[in-house]
Amino acid sequence: MLIDSNAYVGHWPFRRLAYNTLEGLSERMKVFGTDRSVVSNLNGIFYKNAQHANDELWEWIGSKRSYKESFIPFAVLNPTYGGWRDDLSVCINRYGYKGVRLYPQYHRYDIANPSCIELVKTCRDKGIPVVFASRMVDSRTSSWMDIEKEWSLKDIVPAVRAVPDAKFLIMNVANSTALNEEDMALFRKADILMDTSGRSITNWGDLFKRFGAGKFCFGTQSPILDYCTGLLRIESLREEEADEQTRERLRAGNIKKMLGI
Amino acid sequence: MLKINRRKFVANTVSSGASLALGSRLLGSPRAEYAVSDTVEKTRNLMQEVLKYRKIDAHAHVDEEHYKPEVNLDFADRLGIEKLMISDFIRPHTEGTPDDFRARNNFVIKCMKAHPDRFIGTVALNPRYQQASLEEIDRCRDAGMIGLGELYNQVKINDPLYYPIIEKCIDISWNIMMHSPIGYSRVKLNPREPKDISLPEDFVDIARRYPEAMFQFAHIGGGIDWEHACKILKDAPNVFVETSGSNNEANMIDFAMKYIGEDRLVFGCDYSFYQGIGQILSAKLTEAQREKIFFGNISKRLKKGGRDVD
Repeated sequence: MLIDSNAYVGHWPFRRLAYNTLEGLSERMKVFGTDRSVVSNLNGIFYKNAQHANDELWEWIGSKRSYKESFIPFAVLNPTYGGWRDDLSVCINRYGYKGVRLYPQYHRYDIANPSCIELVKTCRDKGIPVVFASRMVDSRTSSWMDIEKEWSLKDIVPAVRAVPDAKFLIMNVANSTALNEEDMALFRKADILMDTSGRSITNWGDLFKRFGAGKFCFGTQSPILDYCTGLLRIESLREEEADEQTRERLRAGNIKKMLGI
Repeated sequence: MLKINRRKFVANTVSSGASLALGSRLLGSPRAEYAVSDTVEKTRNLMQEVLKYRKIDAHAHVDEEHYKPEVNLDFADRLGIEKLMISDFIRPHTEGTPDDFRARNNFVIKCMKAHPDRFIGTVALNPRYQQASLEEIDRCRDAGMIGLGELYNQVKINDPLYYPIIEKCIDISWNIMMHSPIGYSRVKLNPREPKDISLPEDFVDIARRYPEAMFQFAHIGGGIDWEHACKILKDAPNVFVETSGSNNEANMIDFAMKYIGEDRLVFGCDYSFYQGIGQILSAKLTEAQREKIFFGNISKRLKKGGRDVD
């Protein structure tokens, strides 16, 4: 089985995207053999009231019966915006969303903001993961209207330290993965997965040694990044680097375990 | 378009036996045969698709610290890259003296001698030291190197200091590969870039002055605004646009195909091996177009310079 842990639909205001609808994403999934995709709505990054994006995604998924099988929807929330607790409840209880994506860089709050930490705790209590992205696009080539700062792995640490028993997904790991000894111990112990779309996922030998194979899962960052690279990182592993069982965990096993599916 | 299903897998296996055999050899350690499950079959199909294309990485580096030759070859073996055009580029914000570039080229020659079937050496030089640079071309040519690259940002590609060097390359039919900037999309250049970085407009300028010269615009995935670059370079027929870099944005290759076309796009990695291959396989390309981009286009240029890699 192959599950993409990091796909999107919706619009990116600074670049024309292809395959950014559920139909387009389905097409990519068929070509590359992906069975299911975790999907969220990019519009939630840019709408002031992110809940509109969650409503949209729910409507889109409801438009075709097969979408419910193919897609695992995640909400986009802004914990500094009014009504997020109600929105979270609607997303989980009514819409059946399986996780929450947070964008502190775009929504302009600190990751240690009390509301953010409260949201992470709420997700922990409900057993669903919280997602942070190292970056959405490459800041070197992004628009002059886009944000410039990218995160490295250590920027996620405050949330993990505040709620060490929550579930975390870290997407598009694109910068330094260096952590001090204490933070590395925290990461190893925590329920964390990093997807394979980011440019820092290169030296598997080192990554497995430092984090363990249980900390990674297939992800594309589609339709922002090309669909194949995240998969190629797994499929080109040699037998002596990752046996078939390990590769199956990377393809689907680790994310299935986190999501309880 | 890549379509991973059983029918395609069988067809590919039949139609590209030679390439597959090469791929298996390059892999070094053949994959174990697993019981055929759905996922395993998909997996095997993807790697078959990757390995069936002959590939020349038109943008690779070696040195003793960051770009180790054995790491290059490990990635190349894994992903079926037959040859790599290597250089040890003059680092930005350094003087780039003749002693410096000669030492770098010497290391490239050493790597070529160690792996003559895999490494194609390209020459680093600095036109500020014009006579030494011209002599370095002769010295490196005698040692088996072919082409300039990766030229860095000591001097703009359209600076008159480059004219005699470009003319020499025309005489010997050498490819000229030059670095391109990052951060162009924010209108003003990224502050990390030196003032003498060659912009797409500079390539167009020099390509018009020397229409018989063969230029290679490095890494549209290296951080430049690739849409901007492709639009500027659209009407410069003697400029190859090379696809390397860590920024594997979706649609970059498709966009480049629209503006640059299948005869001027060349595959490279610049040490971002997964992205280099992944984005070509993701793009909407025919097999023939992939063959040109991965191998055929740069192979033709190398042949003009006297190196037949077919």
